[in-house]
Amino acid sequence: MKSALRAYLLLTPALLVLGALFLGGFAPSFLQSFGYFPAVGMTEPTLSFYREVFGGREFLPSLLFSLRIAFLSSAGAVVFGALLALLLLRTGRGEKIEGALAAIPVIVPHTVAVLLVLNLLARTGLLARLLFASGFISSPDGMPSLVFDRGGLGVIAVYLWKGIPFAAAVVYVVLRNMNTRLWESATVLGASRFQAFRYVVLPLLLPSLSSTFVLLFGFSFGAFEAPFLIGPTFPRALPVAAYSAYIHPDPTFRPYSMVMVVVITFIAMLLVYLYSFFLAGEERAS
Amino acid sequence: MTFRSTIRTKCCMLLLFALFFAAAPRLFASDWGAVLDASRGTTVNFYGWGGDPNVNAWLDTFVAPRLKERYGIALNRVGMGIGEVLNKLLSEKAAGKTDGVIDVVWINGENFFAARRNDLLFGPFTQALPNFREFVDAAAGDVAFDFGFPTEGYESPYGKAQLVFFRDTERLKEAPGGHEELLEAAKKHPGTITYPAPPDFTGSAFVRTVVCDIVGREALASLPADKEALRKAVAPAMEFLVALKPYLWMRGESYPASSSQIKNMFADGEILLGMSYTPFLAPGRVAAGEFPESTESFVFENGTVGNTHFLAIPFNASNASGAMVVINEILTPEAQASKYDPAVWGDLPVLEYARLSSEERALFESVDTGKGAVPLDFMLRRRVPELPANFIPILDEIWRETVLK
Repeated sequence: MKSALRAYLLLTPALLVLGALFLGGFAPSFLQSFGYFPAVGMTEPTLSFYREVFGGREFLPSLLFSLRIAFLSSAGAVVFGALLALLLLRTGRGEKIEGALAAIPVIVPHTVAVLLVLNLLARTGLLARLLFASGFISSPDGMPSLVFDRGGLGVIAVYLWKGIPFAAAVVYVVLRNMNTRLWESATVLGASRFQAFRYVVLPLLLPSLSSTFVLLFGFSFGAFEAPFLIGPTFPRALPVAAYSAYIHPDPTFRPYSMVMVVVITFIAMLLVYLYSFFLAGEERAS
Repeated sequence: MTFRSTIRTKCCMLLLFALFFAAAPRLFASDWGAVLDASRGTTVNFYGWGGDPNVNAWLDTFVAPRLKERYGIALNRVGMGIGEVLNKLLSEKAAGKTDGVIDVVWINGENFFAARRNDLLFGPFTQALPNFREFVDAAAGDVAFDFGFPTEGYESPYGKAQLVFFRDTERLKEAPGGHEELLEAAKKHPGTITYPAPPDFTGSAFVRTVVCDIVGREALASLPADKEALRKAVAPAMEFLVALKPYLWMRGESYPASSSQIKNMFADGEILLGMSYTPFLAPGRVAAGEFPESTESFVFENGTVGNTHFLAIPFNASNASGAMVVINEILTPEAQASKYDPAVWGDLPVLEYARLSSEERALFESVDTGKGAVPLDFMLRRRVPELPANFIPILDEIWRETVLK
C-alpha cells in the first residue's frame, strides 16, 4: 500500500504535465463539438453537429477509410516486421550494418517518406518509367493509380515503409532475449520447426506484436500528412476532413471539425485501453 | 532593472502615441516620423501562405534587406495558411491575449470577410501610409472592395491576381477559349488535365471561372448567400464539371490537393494544361527552365476571375507601427515593379499608373513579362471580378457534394 502511494507520488509531476496538456487541449475541443464556442457567439450546447456529421455523406466513408488504412498498414508492418526480425536473427546480421540500415526508415520523417513514395509510385515516377522502358506499359496512362487512389495504396505504402523496421526492431529485441533453450527443447521433444514456432515462439511474441500493432494503428489512424499529400480527394481520411473543416473561413463551422476530433480521440482512447491490456499480457509473459 | 523597465514603459507609450495618430484619418509627416522611430530596431512578424518559393524569396531577398537598411526593421517571414492564422487569432481573442505574435497578415476574400466579422483586425490604417495616399486610388473598385465586401481601410492592397491557364503547345495544340473547348481538349487528351480540389485557392477560383463562363457573373451577384439558391443557380456549371470528370487526370476521382502540385505535375509533363492565380507564373517557370519552352498562357474569351490580395494588421499585433512601415514599403514603386517581374514573382501592381513619375513608370515598363505571357491589357479586359466573399465557401461545398462523389 505504502509503496503504491509512493509510486503515485513519484508519477505525479509527469501525470500533471500530461493531464494538463491533454485536458487543456481536449476540453475546448469537446465543448466546441457541442456547439459551445462563446468566442464567436455560440453559447447554446446542442447535439445537432454530431447528428449532421454522422448523417453526412462523407463521414462514414472517411471513418472506414482511416480504419482500413490503419489496419492494413499496421497488420502488414507487424507481419513483415516479425519476418524481417527472424531473418536478421537467423543470419546473425542484426547487430551489423544490415541491422542499422533496416532502422533508417524509423527516423526518416513521414513527409519525406511521402516524397519517396511519390517519386517511386506516381504516374511519372520511377516505377512507371521502368515499366515503360521495359515495354510493360505504353504510356503513363497505362500505369495503375498507386497514389491519390481511392484505396489509399500510396498512404499504406508510406506507413509500411515506416512501420516494418519499427516492428522488426521491437521483435528483434524480444527474440534475442528469449531463452533459446525453449526452442531447442521443443525441437528435441519432436516438434517440427513450424510447430516450435507456432506453439512456443509465437505465443511469447504475441504480446509485443499486439502492442506494436496498437501503437502503429493509433499513429496511422490519427496522422494527417500522408493522406493529405497523397490520399484521395474522396473519401478523405478523418484527420484530413477534420482539418479541412477547421480551416473553413467561417469559425461557426468549427464544431464540425471538433466532432471529428472527438471521434478520433475516442478511438485513440480505446486503443490506449487495448495497449495497456496487451502490455499487461507482455509482463505476464516475461 | 528599474532603468530598463522605464525605457520599456516609455517605448510602449511612444508606440501607443504613434498608433493613436497613425489610426487617425489625417496624418502629419511628423506622426509618420514617430511611427518610423517607434519601429526602428524592432522585428515584424509577417504571416502568410508560404507555398510559393518565388514569393518567399522575394520577401526574403528584396523586401527584408530594404527594410533592414532603410528602417532598421528585421522582417521575420512565417509561412502559415490563412485558415490557421485566423484560428490562431480567434483563440488569442478568446483567451484575451493582447500581445499577439502576428504583425502583418496576407489576406483577402472570404478570409477578410470572416476576420472583419469577428473583429480580428486593427484599423482603419491605410490612410496613415504615405505611399497609400500618394500612389493608390482608394476609391477604385478593386481597392475599396474585396470580393464585394468593403475594405474600409482595414487592409492595404498587396498585388492583383487573375486566374490564367497555361498549356504545352507542343502536345495541346489549341488553346481552349471557353468551357466547351476545355471539354473537347480533355476528350482528345484524356487524363492530362486537372485542377486542384477546392477549397484550395486556385481550384476554387477555377470552379468560379467555369461558373462565370457558363452561368454568367451577373446572374449570381444579386443572389443571397444561401446554399439552396446558389445550388440551383450554378447547377449547369456543376453538371458541366461532372461531365468533364471522366476525361480528367485520375478520371476525376482524385484531384491535386494544392496548386503547387499542379505546377510540379505540369513541369513533369504529367498534365498538359494547368492554371494559376499568379498571371505570369508560367513565363517565369519557363525562364527558370522548369516548364517546357513551348508553354503558353491564355485566358477564356469570357474572362477569368481576378482579385486583389491585401495585407492587414491583426487586432492584437505587438508591433503595429513596424507592420505599417512594412506595408508602406511594399507600396513603393520599386517593390511593386520588382514583384511584377515574372522571373521574381509575376504579381500585378496595385499602384495608379497616372500617379507615377516618368522614372517610376520606367521601372514597370522595363519589366519583360516573358515568353508566352498573356499581354497585361488583354488580360485585364478579360477580368471577371470575384464573386461575393461569402459565396466562396458555399460554392466549395456544393462542388464537394455534387462533383466529387
